[in-house]
Amino acid sequence: MTAFDARGLIGELTVTLDVDVLVGAYADRDGPPGDPSSVLAVLGENRIGVGAVASLRAALFDLRSGNDEVLALPGVVPVGALDLRDPIGSVREMERLAARGVRAVRLFPDEQGVEAGFPSVRHVARRAAALGLVVLTGGDVRRFWQPFSGLEAKVVFLDTHFYHLGDFLVVAADEPGFHTSTRLLNSPDALETVPADRLLYGSRTPHYEPLVPLLRLATSGLKPEEITAVAGGNARRLLG
Amino acid sequence: MIVDVHAHWGPWFFTMDVAELNLATMDRYGIGVSIVSATEAVIYDASAGNRALDGWLATTERHYGYVTVNPRRLAEAERDLDEYLPKGRFVGVKIHTDYTGSPVTSPQLREALALVASRGVPALVHTWGASVLDLAQAVMDTPGLRAIAGHMGADGHRYAVEAARSCDRLWLEPCYSHAPAGRIAQVVAGVDPERLLFGTDSTLIDPASAFGAVAAAGLSPGVAELIAWRNAVQLFGLDITA
Repeated sequence: MTAFDARGLIGELTVTLDVDVLVGAYADRDGPPGDPSSVLAVLGENRIGVGAVASLRAALFDLRSGNDEVLALPGVVPVGALDLRDPIGSVREMERLAARGVRAVRLFPDEQGVEAGFPSVRHVARRAAALGLVVLTGGDVRRFWQPFSGLEAKVVFLDTHFYHLGDFLVVAADEPGFHTSTRLLNSPDALETVPADRLLYGSRTPHYEPLVPLLRLATSGLKPEEITAVAGGNARRLLG
Repeated sequence: MIVDVHAHWGPWFFTMDVAELNLATMDRYGIGVSIVSATEAVIYDASAGNRALDGWLATTERHYGYVTVNPRRLAEAERDLDEYLPKGRFVGVKIHTDYTGSPVTSPQLREALALVASRGVPALVHTWGASVLDLAQAVMDTPGLRAIAGHMGADGHRYAVEAARSCDRLWLEPCYSHAPAGRIAQVVAGVDPERLLFGTDSTLIDPASAFGAVAAAGLSPGVAELIAWRNAVQLFGLDITA
């Protein structure tokens, strides 16, 4: 045991559903290989029972083969990756995935070089809302809230940084379907400021350290039942 | 026991209410001592913030202070250093390159670092990306200066490894609001462990961020002890034993 032992602080907290997990690798950076077995092992080491998993192969190269890899993984909640560089193909893929029972799709605007104002984003947002799909989206929440507004969309903003917490709060007040990942809400009072039913634990395993949001949640000022909700209850309500 | 070499006192302009340092938070993470700069000094008015911090330090036993230097206000900085360093509660200098519009390569930053070197205390300098390499060069060009690369380059931690290996008067401090996988382990593997420190950026960032990232690295007991407090005690000359 060292001065940096987190186990005692985390206690018995377990995550029942992590909303931000990826398989596959980024070709443009060093990093973990992201093969499914190693990703699932990292989740297990961090007391994360189930991940909502999306494919980087789908996001970066080929939608169908990447998403089919995720659909074949046992014991995960599959999330369909879309490619905003191809809104026509993405809508086609959404319809295919919805027919197979997938409940959520994921957007990668930063990786795909897509801005919030591009027509593709609004097009995909409308179709996802019409299909009743939950959208997990990267990107700056100050911009990416807009294409989802007024659609009664269910959205989880995966990149909400505590610097932009005020922007999330004001748009979420008008949009009951807007939620945020906890991953970057690591100021001393961000988790305690967002309504607990809008918070979902997200780690971005294996590219980020899942221990950090886990520790922040475990030591938060939330009530035990709120922690349970953030650690997976809210995600289950959205993703099944 | 942990010494937090990168902490703050005072309010922030974001949507947050954390002006008061929370001793319970320090206790939770085993942080015995924090070295803080005044947010007012860092963001807006160095002299006013240093003066306020001087008053507050008289009310606490678990904090030391940084005299914040704005490289664009070196005459004020010299007066502040003369006034506060001899008191013993200020043990270093904080310089934020962005808030003062003073990149590490700027002439005024170089002058500020020379001023700090003349006082014999370490300087905590904000670094981001490849600017940590510029800081290493500036330290090498400034005789006697000892500097801490705040955030150890943040997303540029690989540059921080290179910087620390090139300059034996540069220390690294890890706080960052993101936690890329393996960041701490990669730095520990590449740098002399005697030049690694621990910092949180509290009260802007909860200590869970830096603590969790370091915990995830699975350090050996010896390296953990150096990072937790031994290196800081030696660098700042603190009168602390575990």
